[in-house]
Amino acid sequence: MTLLRRQARAEVIESDICIIGSGITAALVAEKLVEERPARIVVVEAGDDTVPLAERSAHRARFVAYGESPWGRDHIDGMTADGIQSRSMQVGGLAMHWGGVTPRFSPEDFRVKSLFGVGHDWPVAYEELDPFYHEAERRIGVAGEQGPPGLDPRGNPFPMPPIPLTYNLALLKRWTDSAGIAMWSQPSAKNSVAYGGRAVCCRNDTCAPVCPVGAKYSPDFTWNALRASRRVELVPRTLVRRLVVEDGSNRIARAEAVRRDRGGANGSPVHFRARTFVVAAGYAWSPHLLLLSRSDRFPQGIANRSGMVGKYMTGHRNVFAFVKLPLRLYPGMNEQHSLVTKQFMRPSKLDRYVRHDLRVWESSVGRRPRLKGDDGAVLLGDALLADWRRRSTEGTARVRAYYDVIPDRESALTLNESAKNAYGDPQPRLTFRDSPESAALRAHTEDSIKALFQRMARAGNGEILRSGVDDFQDHPAGGCRMGDDPASSVVDSYGRAHDHENLFVVGAPTSVSGGCANATLTFLAVALRQATAIGRE
Amino acid sequence: MERVRGPRAILAAIATPSQRSPNAALIQALGDAVLPVELGAGGVTRAVAEFQRWMDGYNPGAEANHGYGTGRIGQLPADPRPQWRSQLAALDADARRTGRPFSDLPRERRQALVRAALHNERGDALPNPLLARHVALALLAHFYDSPAATDLCYEAQIGRQQCRPLSAQRQEPVALVRNGR
Ligand SMILES: Cc1cc2nc3c(=O)[nH]c(=O)nc-3n(C[C@H](O)[C@H](O)[C@H](O)COP(=O)(O)OP(=O)(O)OC[C@H]3O[C@@H](n4cnc5c(N)ncnc54)[C@H](O)[C@@H]3O)c2cc1C
Repeated sequence: MTLLRRQARAEVIESDICIIGSGITAALVAEKLVEERPARIVVVEAGDDTVPLAERSAHRARFVAYGESPWGRDHIDGMTADGIQSRSMQVGGLAMHWGGVTPRFSPEDFRVKSLFGVGHDWPVAYEELDPFYHEAERRIGVAGEQGPPGLDPRGNPFPMPPIPLTYNLALLKRWTDSAGIAMWSQPSAKNSVAYGGRAVCCRNDTCAPVCPVGAKYSPDFTWNALRASRRVELVPRTLVRRLVVEDGSNRIARAEAVRRDRGGANGSPVHFRARTFVVAAGYAWSPHLLLLSRSDRFPQGIANRSGMVGKYMTGHRNVFAFVKLPLRLYPGMNEQHSLVTKQFMRPSKLDRYVRHDLRVWESSVGRRPRLKGDDGAVLLGDALLADWRRRSTEGTARVRAYYDVIPDRESALTLNESAKNAYGDPQPRLTFRDSPESAALRAHTEDSIKALFQRMARAGNGEILRSGVDDFQDHPAGGCRMGDDPASSVVDSYGRAHDHENLFVVGAPTSVSGGCANATLTFLAVALRQATAIGRE
Repeated sequence: MERVRGPRAILAAIATPSQRSPNAALIQALGDAVLPVELGAGGVTRAVAEFQRWMDGYNPGAEANHGYGTGRIGQLPADPRPQWRSQLAALDADARRTGRPFSDLPRERRQALVRAALHNERGDALPNPLLARHVALALLAHFYDSPAATDLCYEAQIGRQQCRPLSAQRQEPVALVRNGR
């Protein structure tokens, strides 16, 4: 399918479209391009092939028993960011580990400047993304419940019925109803019925890090199908080190890479030539690659005339609590499934700006077995069991709210010249920072959410066992921000680099802000919209 | 769709007894002393056998599941079995000083020795069994972390972390059948 020839030093692989990275975003973009374009597509992935489905049950057993990593060779020594970054460089990327929780952002997330006077609007509205959200839900298979249409607008129903509420969640929903909060079943990329040739969820309850039956979507399923159809060539174990711009134009000429599994410690060089290049390497490695591609002609890296590559890294923090409630709950029914609401996405214009989601899970916090009784004596035999039983007659709910953090321009990914990988390339350093307006709102936001938790506890005659703030930016994104103005963004809303007509960056890195919900479905909707322009230039 | 095997079947298949494990008779005597009588003799024997299999299947230093949001790659702890074996031997030696081997002591006397050994342990939780500083604590932590223990506590068939029909999660778990673990 691809043309291979030997040059003096580097192997050359040619295609029409070269996609860098094989994470969930790349998988969906490749699948769409294959369906819609007669193009030769090559995908380059730095990591190794992943653990096949047939072996996951055994790996899960060892994870449950001992806490062993179920993913074997899922990372590359020396390739790591200083800052928030989970490790997963393998075919399928981070979504081999993910929990499969797939809410949409709210319409307001895309218009915070116009609606609330804070942050920045996205160059694309929710209404434009709605069909692409639906396409993403269909491609990965999302089981979901339609929330109240005013809060949860959608043009099409979910492709699968919702994951049913557990007995526990049904009781907890009655509690949140009594607190005046409308909640529903969290949309999830988990099969509530057989879908896409994959099994129905059977509540193994280890979705993150591993589903042993394939009921949770992971990108390897898409890659397996695309590779079997021979319509995509996926080249694993091959790290792209830089993109090179054609002499005399701004077009990207080639991606220079190294095959890690050939040529000894230095690897074997390989050049990918293509008409179009798509960087789908996730929020950290995408801006990193653009910065690494610096040259005499582009000393700040490529696509970076604006100086915006690596800037405006986004995410959201969360406030959480464990609430003791006078309810007989049974922890373990399906701990990874939750209730969700979007009721707090729309603050009144008169209020100080606070926006957040809210989720509720069953929990066993405060109800686990312990070694010593209240008197400090060691409990053995039936006494330990009796103590556990006594403390388990009531239930605990876990509640958590992701809140909107407005990123600062200097919330940034930079090259860390003091940490280099095996090939001598500096590694990324990530420093997340709130904008001054967001920093000024932080205490008020967190206090408001804690007050909401208190109100909820009171409504259920309950009590907060403990609460806190997870002080890191979850669902990180940004670094190649999209926008209409080339002076303040890296790519347009279709992911095309303002500076290079045949270079696209897709998904997470192009996000303008982090929203207030798990963000991967939004990365996918954005990327599928971006894919409509790829290969048409 | 690919055929998948349950975690317990797989663990049973991978675990082979090893010379490094604590003495089987002593560990059974320990189990009889510290596990709930409510389990019944068969239940205690099963729980002890599962603990043995778990120990035998352990791979010290294996790569740990990655933390979220961090690049750190962790390793599982060193093999705890040599230490646990000597602790069991110490319990037995203490018992023999009173005239009888640990296995032959009445249950209350065995419990008293274990209580003394666990006196300084943290009381508000049970640890990850791999990190338990004493073999008795490891056995307790391993049992109480099992789905069977949760079912016993709630006297209901919850089946935590086991493959169960999704639709059944709407209903309150049915009552536990006594001695039907
Ligand atoms: C434990 C865990 C649970 C999560 N749960 C959820 C959840 O429930 N819901 C949710 O919305 N999100 C969740 N997430 C986040 C979600 O997994 C990510 O947002 C998503 O997978 C990102 O996909 P991506 O395609 O943007 O990038 P990635 O998955 O990072 O893929 C990028 C790929 O590109 C490759 N690559 C990078 N640089 C190069 C290069 N130079 N050359 C070649 N290849 C390269 C990498 O190896 C990688 O495979 C979770 C994440 C983790 C770790």
